[in-house]
Amino acid sequence: MNDIHEIKEIWQGEIGRALKGGRVVVLLILFLLFIGLALTIVGSINYGLNGKIDEALQQGQVDKAAAAAQAIESRKKVLSTFFTDDESLLEFLATMPLVLFVVFKLTMMFGPLFIALMGFDQISGEIGPKSIRYLVVRVKRSSILLGKFAAQATLASGLLILCTIVMVVVAKVLNDDFAVGAAVLMGFKLSAVLVVFALAYLALSSLCSSVTRQSGVSLVLNVILLFVVWAMALIGNLVRLPGEEAAFGTLASLKPEHWVGYMRFGSVWNFGQDLLHPEPARFLSAGMVHLGFALFFLGLAHLALRKRDL
Amino acid sequence: MKAAIELTNLRKEFGAKVAVNDVSFNVGEGECYGLIGPNGAGKTTTFSMMCGFLFPSSGTIRILGADPFEPGALKGKVGVLPQDAVLPASWPVGSLLMYLAKLSGLPNPEKEAREVLDRVLLPETWAVPAGAMSHGMAKRIAMAQALMGNPPVVFLDEPTAGLDPKIAAQVRQVIRDLKGNATVVVSSHNLQELEELCDSTAILDKGRLVKAGTMSEMTGQLAEFRVQIARGPVPMDEVKALSGCRTASLEQNNTVLVVHFDGQAVQPEDIISRTVGLLVQRQVLILGVSRGKRLEEKVLQLT
Repeated sequence: MNDIHEIKEIWQGEIGRALKGGRVVVLLILFLLFIGLALTIVGSINYGLNGKIDEALQQGQVDKAAAAAQAIESRKKVLSTFFTDDESLLEFLATMPLVLFVVFKLTMMFGPLFIALMGFDQISGEIGPKSIRYLVVRVKRSSILLGKFAAQATLASGLLILCTIVMVVVAKVLNDDFAVGAAVLMGFKLSAVLVVFALAYLALSSLCSSVTRQSGVSLVLNVILLFVVWAMALIGNLVRLPGEEAAFGTLASLKPEHWVGYMRFGSVWNFGQDLLHPEPARFLSAGMVHLGFALFFLGLAHLALRKRDL
Repeated sequence: MKAAIELTNLRKEFGAKVAVNDVSFNVGEGECYGLIGPNGAGKTTTFSMMCGFLFPSSGTIRILGADPFEPGALKGKVGVLPQDAVLPASWPVGSLLMYLAKLSGLPNPEKEAREVLDRVLLPETWAVPAGAMSHGMAKRIAMAQALMGNPPVVFLDEPTAGLDPKIAAQVRQVIRDLKGNATVVVSSHNLQELEELCDSTAILDKGRLVKAGTMSEMTGQLAEFRVQIARGPVPMDEVKALSGCRTASLEQNNTVLVVHFDGQAVQPEDIISRTVGLLVQRQVLILGVSRGKRLEEKVLQLT
């Protein structure tokens, strides 16, 4: 109980400090600018395509249902080439407006970097100037770690949810066939996906911040580890696992079989896409994997902080 | 006297460098204890281990019977003024002290924070960001957080370093007020200050404990006094013949009479009075009398 009280106090203190500090606001503005730019580019392409379809419809060259079905089929073809062979995931992704899908994927891609920039000095920024000494005589080191992690998770969740709302609203404005109910449901789902997705990267940021006393070094270390995480997933997915089946004509059928494929399972990045999967078993297991990685990174951070000189 | 702090065979290595080597001493409950030594003697390292900031390579520490490295063991028991620890710049002082009071589990954080700011004479800084404080003010704010909740053990690392004389005197008064209410450990280079404040002291040099004991033992207050002579021949044979006198000698061009006496056999006030009486009787003019030697002399002699 005492531990929970300590974690709560650290969490509250850190939230207040972060909001007063201004870095969170600057990062939010930067990320919203990035999303705004992506929305503008993808949105204008989307708008142009919609315009052409509308023009063809007005000229009576195609009927509306056939045009919609064709659009979904072409989208599925693009998605199966670049993103996944999974039929049910394809079905779900194809229902998302193109602009929303692309910007959401970009957010997932750059979210970890955003998280690193937000929390790289959460612990190291206190160890370097020794201000952590005012805390360690009062609370457990584990409470400092968890309180700061919880504060970062709260802030990151708030910012990511805000970004998701912006994305969904813009997608609704640009796509008349994206119904309000569907948009709200999609907003909830994507927000939940981003929050769960962020957990492991937040914990990775806590780990990098706990192993060094220099904030700059913890940021560099965090970025290097993000590249390692991305690279492991990328390399692991360039090949098929030994004995893995692949349907003829799919992207997977072109990949050679190699044990290097197992490398993908060591990277949390590999499981990010499954968070969008419509089958509960798949998205729940992906969520558990993210939670598992988060606990693993936090455990390592605790080990690093528990026995280190401050 | 019951020991509040016990250090046993404490050793700390930083790579190949041994910063603290086999240091053992006890600090009694309610005592004001000084840690003395030249730069690199291991004072701050020893201090930091007592506070649980640095892990010893070997040896043990007990603070009020608890291991300071046990998570949460020092909560509410210890107040620490760490050397060179920067206060979080963006926090207003009042909010920072309230936050730290909450972390200490104190029942009324605002009351504690305001009271302790009054104690260090800085109530006007309540809403001022900690980063806007001068060095002296920041030091007093750091001192304030150490005193919140009246912890039974207080560690102060260089509490008056860099302060102007007036503020330093105020800080010394705060430490004086703690005596008897808390066990206080003060690490400092200011030997005059430690001599004035501390009941006992440990002298460290090159990571080793050179000497530990009460301030009286250190300065020889129970075994030595000095008389500053203005004019007149000192009757050395008569002085040496006084009951309880062990040795007597003239130093500094015959201007200082140094008398060592048997502190067990005779009271200091007794032999000092008899010596001064003898000198006056023999028409020796004196400028002053002081007991023992300065702590500074002792430290210079030992390190």
